[in-house]
Amino acid sequence: MAATLSFPRPVFAKLSPHPYLLRNLSPADPVANPPARTNGRRPRESRPVHVNASSLSHAHGSALVRSGDTTVICGVRGEILPVSQIPLFRPRENHYGPAAAAAAAAGDGPDGLGLGLGLGRGELKDYDLLVPNIELATGAAPQFLPGVPPTALAQTLSTRVYSLLHGTGMVEGGDLRVWFRPSSAAAAAAGVGGEDVDMGEEGVEEEEEQQVVAYWVLYIDLLFVSFDGNPFDAAWAAVVAALRDTKLPVARWDPDREMVVCSRTETRRLNVRGLPVACSAAVFVEKEHGEAGAGENRHWLLLDPDRLEESLCREVVTMVVDCSEGETRVKSIEKQGGTVLGRELIRGFASVAEERWNEVKKAMK
Amino acid sequence: MTDRRRINGPAGATIPPVYDDESRLDLKTATGRSRPPNAIRKMYLKTGVTPSASGSAYLEIETSGKPGVSGLKLSCSVHGPRSLPRSSPFSPHIVLSTHVKYAPFATKQRRGYLRDPSERDLGTHLEAALRGSIIADRWPKSGVDIIISIIEGDQDRETSRFQGDEVWDMMNALSGCITVASAALADAGIDCVDTVAGGVAALVQNTSDDSTTSIVVDPIPSEHEKILAACCIAYLPTRDEVTNLWFRGDLPASDMELYTRLVEQGIQASANANRVLVECLNGTVG
Repeated sequence: MAATLSFPRPVFAKLSPHPYLLRNLSPADPVANPPARTNGRRPRESRPVHVNASSLSHAHGSALVRSGDTTVICGVRGEILPVSQIPLFRPRENHYGPAAAAAAAAGDGPDGLGLGLGLGRGELKDYDLLVPNIELATGAAPQFLPGVPPTALAQTLSTRVYSLLHGTGMVEGGDLRVWFRPSSAAAAAAGVGGEDVDMGEEGVEEEEEQQVVAYWVLYIDLLFVSFDGNPFDAAWAAVVAALRDTKLPVARWDPDREMVVCSRTETRRLNVRGLPVACSAAVFVEKEHGEAGAGENRHWLLLDPDRLEESLCREVVTMVVDCSEGETRVKSIEKQGGTVLGRELIRGFASVAEERWNEVKKAMK
Repeated sequence: MTDRRRINGPAGATIPPVYDDESRLDLKTATGRSRPPNAIRKMYLKTGVTPSASGSAYLEIETSGKPGVSGLKLSCSVHGPRSLPRSSPFSPHIVLSTHVKYAPFATKQRRGYLRDPSERDLGTHLEAALRGSIIADRWPKSGVDIIISIIEGDQDRETSRFQGDEVWDMMNALSGCITVASAALADAGIDCVDTVAGGVAALVQNTSDDSTTSIVVDPIPSEHEKILAACCIAYLPTRDEVTNLWFRGDLPASDMELYTRLVEQGIQASANANRVLVECLNGTVG
C-alpha cells in the first residue's frame, strides 16, 4: 500500500509559500470555495483597525493602533525650543504684526489657506519642529532584534512619516509658537507708573509687545509591539490618532525668570487639520521572480498585506487619502517595484482607499 | 556626533516643559499608603501579545488610584531557542541575552534610543534572575533573546520633590521585568525548573522624625516620606530558592535582623506575584 504523504496547511505555507498562496487565490473550483488569501481574507479585505487613544500618562498625546497582529504605540511629547537656541533665527516682520498675532491666537493664521502653503509650514520645516522616529527593534518580529542600528526599513518608515507630516500640513506652525504677551494689567500699571518715563523707552516697549519667544517641538515616537506586515499604515494611523489626542500645556514667557513656563492645569488641544489615512496593497503575480513560462501572467491586488504576503510581493502601492472635507483628496501616492500597476489600476485603487478611510475614521471616532 | 540614522530634530537643545506652579505642589505631603504593608498592587498579565515571536507577555500593574501616577506597563518578547551564529564559540548550554529598554515616552524625561547604563544594569540583573530558572543544558549551542520594552515607567508625573527616586523606580521595574520575562519564557515553551517572579520590599519612613520605620512590599516612592533601603528578590517558590537579590540603601551593619526581615518580605512579595503568574499560565493551558 502506498503511504500518503500529507502535511497540514502551515507546513505547506512554510515550505513553498508562493505556490501555496497561488493555489489559495486560484482554487480549482471557484464556486465551491471562493478565492481567498492564506489568512482567510478576501483579496480586497483589510484587517479591522482598533484605536485606543490617550493610554499613556507621561506623553502629551498617545495612541495604540492594532490592525490584525500589527500593534504600534505612538507617544507625542512636546518640548520647548527657545528662539535663542535656533541658529539664524529671524523673525518675519510681516508675520509678527498685531493683526497676525490676533489671527494666530484665533487659531486661523494667514497660513490657514486651503493649499496649506502658508508661512507656518516654513517654520515647521526650517526649525525642524516635528521629530518622528520609528523603533522596530523591539523583538516585534524575529528579524528585528535590538542591539543593532536602525534597519533600512525603520529608517525608510521614519522618513516617510516625516515627509508625509510636512506634506499634508496637518500641524500648523502657528500652533506651536509660544508668544510673549505682556498682560493688559501689567501694561496698564506700566502706563500709570511710567508717567515720567520718556517717550523713547515707551516706544521700545511698544515694539516688544508681541513676539515669538519659543516653539514647541513635537517628538513623535513610535514603538512596534507586534509586527505582522503593513507597518506604514498602522504607524501613520497611530501618528494621526496621537496628534489628534495631543494636548499641550499653555505656555507663556516669564520675563523675570527669562524662561518659558507652562501651566499645570490649563491645556490646549493641538489643532490638527484633516484626517489623512494611508492605504497599502501589495501586488502578487502568478510567476515567481525569474520564473520563465508561457501564458498570461495573472496578478492580484492584496490589500493590507501581512508578513507572509509582503515577503512574496515585490510591488507595493501606498495611497494616502483624506475625505474629511467632503470630497476625496489624494495626499500622496507611492509605488515601488514591479510594473503591473498602471494608470487604471491606481485610479481604481483610490476608491479602495476611500473605503479604508471610512473604516479608519470609524475606528478613530 | 549625531545619529544620522534617526530623525534628530532641531539642532538647538530643547527643554522639557517647566511648570510654574511647582511651589504649590512642593507643599503637598506624601499621600500615605492605601494598601496594607504586606500587599502588592494588582497586576494584569497576558501571554501571547506578539504572535510572531516564540513567546511573549504583557504586564500591567495598576495605578495607585491617584491621577497622574502611572502604573508599570511592560511588553516582553522571547525569540528562540535558535542556533548561535557560526562565529560564536561553543557553548554547552543555552546562551541568554536580555535586553531592557525604556520607550522614549515611558518616563518624565524623554529617553533616547540608545541604551543608557541603568538599562544595561536592569538587563544584567534580569539575566541573573532567569538563568537560575532555565534548564540551560537542554539546549547546547543555542541562544535565546529576551527583549523587554518598558512602555510606561512607574513614575510620579506630578511631583518634583522626589528627584532622587529613579533608583527605587528601577527596583520596581526590575521586579516587573522578571515576572513578565518568566511568563514569556513559559509561553515560548522553554523548559524551566519553576516560574520565577520578582518582588520588592523596602524599609520606609512615613513621618519626618527618624524613629518610626517600617517594612512594606511593592513600595511607591511618592507614598512615603523617605525610602531608606530596598531589595528586589527573584524567587522560585517550589524549590525555595532565590536566584537574584539586589539590595540598595543605607542601613547599619550591626542590625542583621533588619536585613533578614527585608529579604523575607521580598520573598513574600515575590510569592504573591508568582500566584498571578501561575494563574495566568494555567488559564492559557486550560
